[in-house]
Amino acid sequence: MAETKGTARTIFHIDLDAFFVTVERVLNPALSGKPVIVGGRPEGRGVVASASYEARKCGVHAAMPLARAKRLCPQAIFLTGNYHRYVDFSHKFMDILADYSPSFQPGGLDEAYLDVTGCQNFGSWHNLAIKIKERIKRETSLVASIGIAPSKVVAKIASDLSKPDGLIEVASGEEKAFLSPLPVQKMPGVGEKTNQVMKSMNILTIGQLARMPESLFKNRFGEGMLWLREHANGIDNSAVEAYGEAKSSSRETTFEKDTSDTGLLKATLRYFSEKLGADLRDSDKKARTVTLKLRYADFETINRSKTSREATNLDDKIFQSAVRLLESALAKKYRAVRLIGLEVSNFINSETQLGLFDAESKKLEQVDRAVDGIRDKYGFDSIQTGYTMELKQKYSGKTRDA
Amino acid sequence: MKLSCLQENLNKGLGIIGRAVATRTTLPITQNVLISTDQSQLKLAATNLEIAISSWIGAKIENEGSITVPARIFTEFISSLPNDVISLNLKHHTLEIKCGRYEARINGLDAADFPPIPQVGDGFMTKILEEELKQAISQVAFAAATEESRPVLTGVQTEFEGSKLTLAAADGFRLAVHRSNLIEPVKDKVSMIIPAKAYHELHRLMSEPDQEIEITQNAQKSQVLFKLKNIEMVSQIIQGTFPNYSQLIPQTYGTKARIDVAEFQRAIKMASIFARDGSGIARVIVTPGATVEAGKITISARADEIGDNVGEIDALVDGEAAKIAFNARYLSDVLSVIKQAQVSLEVTTPSNPGVIRPVGVDNYDHVVMPMFVQW
Repeated sequence: MAETKGTARTIFHIDLDAFFVTVERVLNPALSGKPVIVGGRPEGRGVVASASYEARKCGVHAAMPLARAKRLCPQAIFLTGNYHRYVDFSHKFMDILADYSPSFQPGGLDEAYLDVTGCQNFGSWHNLAIKIKERIKRETSLVASIGIAPSKVVAKIASDLSKPDGLIEVASGEEKAFLSPLPVQKMPGVGEKTNQVMKSMNILTIGQLARMPESLFKNRFGEGMLWLREHANGIDNSAVEAYGEAKSSSRETTFEKDTSDTGLLKATLRYFSEKLGADLRDSDKKARTVTLKLRYADFETINRSKTSREATNLDDKIFQSAVRLLESALAKKYRAVRLIGLEVSNFINSETQLGLFDAESKKLEQVDRAVDGIRDKYGFDSIQTGYTMELKQKYSGKTRDA
Repeated sequence: MKLSCLQENLNKGLGIIGRAVATRTTLPITQNVLISTDQSQLKLAATNLEIAISSWIGAKIENEGSITVPARIFTEFISSLPNDVISLNLKHHTLEIKCGRYEARINGLDAADFPPIPQVGDGFMTKILEEELKQAISQVAFAAATEESRPVLTGVQTEFEGSKLTLAAADGFRLAVHRSNLIEPVKDKVSMIIPAKAYHELHRLMSEPDQEIEITQNAQKSQVLFKLKNIEMVSQIIQGTFPNYSQLIPQTYGTKARIDVAEFQRAIKMASIFARDGSGIARVIVTPGATVEAGKITISARADEIGDNVGEIDALVDGEAAKIAFNARYLSDVLSVIKQAQVSLEVTTPSNPGVIRPVGVDNYDHVVMPMFVQW
């Protein structure tokens, strides 16, 4: 990751409040003031994608199973969601931000970082933020909260804290004091698991985390997590990276019923591998890392990844890596699976290191590309590999997209 | 079981089998070492189910018997004892160790529960001089893949034909092939893929260049036994087909340079300092002179925003000028296992493999795939 050195920076983190719900309300004003939950039908097995503040008051939050949301907030209006409309709104939102600084990094559809260092001609940062909020409201009817800070992580925490429709500015030098009293869960990167571990060590606030001796922290969380301690100290030199290409691509699906049928799990992975492989070939990229995501019936979620020296865009290579990850995960914990996902990342556009067996891979790539051609013309289902037969039987010819 | 032996011998024996002790395992007993009396000797054995190593040491046996004890504790305790007579006495499942004024008791697990050390004996058999095999392993095994994505590439293709033994390994970016001589010719051609890890261990066990090593494959072709003096190692054989490597070795070249190994190594080492930040790219430019002797090679590397370096060495160059880039590590890996003073580097185009061979012998080919760079 690129780092900026020396000069103090000013970074905005702009985050749209209850984005999906707000878009639904713009499209259908009758939903205003009512508890709204976007994610799917409550009798389905999906999770909450976005909940209005009215629904949040009942304890509903994102990533909660819909059935539970229904129990907590029976009066809520459940919507399946309208992804294409969200993308349209997101584009408008991002276009507005891009007007204020070339140094701009979207993080998903509804949030972005903006490095405004040196853009002083707008007056004070506070005024600039107000201007941006007003323009977003005027042009898209969406509500944004903004955090202003000298680093990305502090800006993000500030915008989160300011919600809804808020604005918090953390001046240079005050990052530590600002973060210190906040609960550790507010730190991006501290999930349920890390939080549990910290709780057991009696670390409840970001300040306590920041004061942990480095050696103890390393011992408990590993050297690779040292950035978390730095972030807790308000230190984050990562740069706002200009709008770049996607860094990964992924697919996932929640099964209708929890399953421990490895045949079905592998068939699903094969289907994902073919979809992801086709995407890679289409964009002339190769990936070095394959990541498997499993959510077990008890909601424990694991990610396992494998990085190879050789990058690939072949369906079969992706699939083989995925199967190895699946087998080793199931060997450790053989339980019913609720959700399975596959991600390819660590892209390279062209290979620097030539391989001994390139001729062999080229042949396989030609086969995959020939299949891509047929599928482009006659549809994905027009040609099928044996591995995915089980899916076809299960979904009677309707392969489901994640 | 009751016996006595010298601390020095027991310590050495434990060192030999130690690397076969399982570390992370689902079968806890494989973290133990099997101690048993075998005729008038003490036999030590360990297995991680991929390889098994047994070692025999001299001992005075009073009562026969066997037990398994945790390898780490036993080994650490034995190694800290003075070089004196150690007596081992098994009482029920507790091994009592006494040496002068020191003693210890270690609770063991029944030897009957230890995974059987495979008996390999009924299949193909041949012999080779340790020196020959050691050299072959050192020049080939390092080129095997460490990633599991293609399991056959984590092994070394091992071929016996006539009186030749050929070892070949490839990891997708380089290929090493070495030919050595067997003591007696074999009747039929036999080939097997032996895990590179097993060869690394075997290499470590070799300490007497003049001794004969017996190599036996079992009838099922699933295991291979290497028999050294007082040491036996059994390894699983990797099932599958090794790629046809001979077609990966270029038969012609456009440029051939003869280079002093030590100088080449120094230049590569310098380039790798600057190449570290990039993808390890060392750029090699071969320039012919007015005569073959007046040729030279430059090796350079650059690190974005930091700097660059260039080194020039003399070479005997036959053919046209050439440019090619390699991962510096692949070059230093191969140069470090070559015993001869000079090597030849053969190249054709910047995107075709380079071949490195020691000058003066005809038993080793090392193919390295180049890197694609903007010059």
